[in-house]
Formats: sequence, C-alpha cells, structure tokens
Amino acid sequence: MEFSKFFNSSIKLNIILIISFSISVNSLILLPNINNAFYLLFHLTFIYLIFYHYHYYLYLVALLYGILFDILLFNNIGAHLLTFLFLLILFILLRKFLIKLTSYQTIFVYFITLIILLIIEQFLANLIHNYKFNIISIFNFILISFIIFIPTVFLLTKLDK
Amino acid sequence: MAPKFQIKVFQLSRFVKNFTIISIVSLSFLLVFFSKSDLYLINGIKIISSSVIIPITRVISAPVNAFSNFVDEYNQFKSLKFENKILQEEIIRLKKWQTLAIQNSRENKVLKKLLNATDNNLTLVKTASLINRNDSIYSKLINLNAGYEDKIKKNMSAINERGLVGKVIDTTSNNSRVILLTDPNLSISVKSISDGIFSLLTGNGDGKYLVSSFIKENKLPRLGDIVVTSGTAQIFPVDLLVGKVTKVEKNRFFVLPFVDFKNIDYVQIVTSK
Repeated sequence: MEFSKFFNSSIKLNIILIISFSISVNSLILLPNINNAFYLLFHLTFIYLIFYHYHYYLYLVALLYGILFDILLFNNIGAHLLTFLFLLILFILLRKFLIKLTSYQTIFVYFITLIILLIIEQFLANLIHNYKFNIISIFNFILISFIIFIPTVFLLTKLDK
Repeated sequence: MAPKFQIKVFQLSRFVKNFTIISIVSLSFLLVFFSKSDLYLINGIKIISSSVIIPITRVISAPVNAFSNFVDEYNQFKSLKFENKILQEEIIRLKKWQTLAIQNSRENKVLKKLLNATDNNLTLVKTASLINRNDSIYSKLINLNAGYEDKIKKNMSAINERGLVGKVIDTTSNNSRVILLTDPNLSISVKSISDGIFSLLTGNGDGKYLVSSFIKENKLPRLGDIVVTSGTAQIFPVDLLVGKVTKVEKNRFFVLPFVDFKNIDYVQIVTSK
C-alpha cells in the first residue's frame, strides 16, 4: 500500500524496465532462459508503457535503453535503438485505430507487436551487426513469450490498476 | 489578455516537443551511422556503459546472480559423490603421467639448450578476473576488471590455461571488454599443426563451434587436427592453442575450441614480445 501511494503507475513501470534491463544484460550461464525472460519482460513493459502511458519522455527512454542494449549486447549502436523508435513512430501513426480496439483485440495486438519487435531486432542485428538470423532463438523467444505473457499482463495491469 | 497568452504557451510547448522528437530521431540515425567509427562521442558512450552502467546493473541483478550461484552450488553438491570417485581414479592416472612429464620436461630443457631456443614469444600484461558477461543474447562479450591503467590496450589477446579466449575490443581506466572466439564478428587466422594449412575462423553463431570462412589454397585439414594461431594477421601472437577440427565438409571445416567459455573466471592479457 505504501509503495502504491508513493509511486504512480508510470514510475512503477519504469522501475520494472530498469530491473528487467539489468538482469537481461548480465548473462547467467546456468539459467540463460532467465536472461531471455527478463529481456522479453523489458519489451513487454516498454510496449505497455507506449500503449497505456504514451508520453513524449518515452522517446528519451527509447534512446537511452536502445543505446545501452546495443552497446552491451552488440558493442555497436543499431538494432534496439531503431526498433524502439520504430515502435514509437508506428504507435503515433496507428493510435486512432488502436483506441477503437476491444480489450481482447488489444491483448492480441500487444502479443503480435512483441513478436514483430523481436523479429525486427533479429533482422537488424543481421543487417547492421552481422549476427545470423537465428530461427531457433526466435522460437525460443516465442515459447518464453507464451509462458510469461499472461502473468506479465496480469502483473502490469495490477500495478497499473 | 490571459487566454491569448495561454494559447501561445501551448503552441510553443508543442513546437518544443515536436522539435525534441525530431532531434532524438535524427540523433539516433546519426549514432547508428557513426557507431562503427572511432568518434569521441561513440567512445564516450561505450566508456560510460562499461564503467558506470555495468556496475549498476550488477548491483540490481545481484539477487538473480545469487540465485544462479545457489543453483550451481546445489548441482555441484548433488554430484559430489560421483565426482569424488572419478577424481580418485584420475589422481592415480595423473600420478603416472606426472612421472612421465617430469622426465619429458628435463629432456625438453636439455634439447632447448642444444637448439639455443627461446621459451615462448608472449609477454604477460595482466591477469584479470571476469566481472560480468553479455553472451547469452546475440554477441559473445565478457567484461574484465582491468583497463588501460593496467596497460591493457585494444587488440591485445586474452588467453587462459586452455588456450585463446578472445581479443580486447574496448578499454576504460579500470575495465576492458573482450570479444570471445565464438562471436561471429571475430575472425582469427589459424594454421593446422600437422599440415600447416592456413585459414580464417569465425564464430558459428551457436556459441560452441568455430567455422572456417576462408581456407588458403582450398586445402582442408584432417579430422582431429589441432589448430593454433598463425600470427600472420599481426593481431594474435603465433602458436596460441585454438581448438580441434571436429567436422570437415566440402568447402569448410568446424573447430571445437579448447577453452570452456562457460567456465571462465580469470584470463591473461598477453601480447607478442
């Protein structure tokens, strides 16, 4: 209760972003899927922030995390930064349509957006950073997404009330 | 008068917001465009990320790391009895080998004196421990707790007791980043020990094997052959152990590195004499 009083939804979601970012960039040799799960949690939280708490400061958030993810995971800037900005611009363009969606449709779009983001990141990693387009990795991400998606949505909506 | 003033403020703030967005998008594209160059800004971002951001992320992810360590210790504890048996058998075997090794070492020293040969061509710069690793998603990078204050420079080689680990790609005052052999963006020039076949190896992308990207005169090495650094590219010192040829195909071959990349705690940064 104290926690809820002190922080508003946007701050709570940003704290989740910081934690999930930190865990996803510190590789755990024995539990690599935990890294992957937190990597996906970061993406889910970021999409949630854009969908439900759109604000201009999110461009700065995208810039900051995009650069940090790229530097720490590729040692060069590119894939994540472009993907996050692409997502923000796409949201502005499609905002009028997204508002009209029902809650089930929104959840579906939310999940599809996550998968598209991951595929774009892989594609850009291949194009800019010369990393192979790894189908196995994509399937692994999709599988983990299926597992964590509903609990994550539940957690985020609970935090967001 | 008041409403007019309010409208002006609203328009100005919207202009500022739009301008900020356009600036951020433009800056992003410029950063992407110049990210592979040696610009001061790019280097600054890399330095901040490895000297400030990595320690912060380590503190935040400490509980998860502790949990991972606990799982590791539990697994080790579970297999303790079985490992004990294996180790006892290995001690007996190693004792026999030790006697042979001492004999060979004496013989080697005598032969080296006769040939007037030098011991090796490496200079140890620093032994550093691993502080964190970024090798589960995309790239294969590790971060070390030593930087240019310890005389570590870009392009120096990182080795451990098993062989070549990778190459230093970035250094800050107290940290440095090493790209592992298994990263697809690192190429190493190697030669096979038995036939002296020269080739280039890169990471296969799976984090386990290295694959040949170029073979001189299209001669393929034999299965089981050992490959070492050739020293021709002037980046890695000559004759550092790399791995063993495990698969030979029509135009390429695969090498399994000697280094166990999952169990790296310390590495030595070395350079050619």
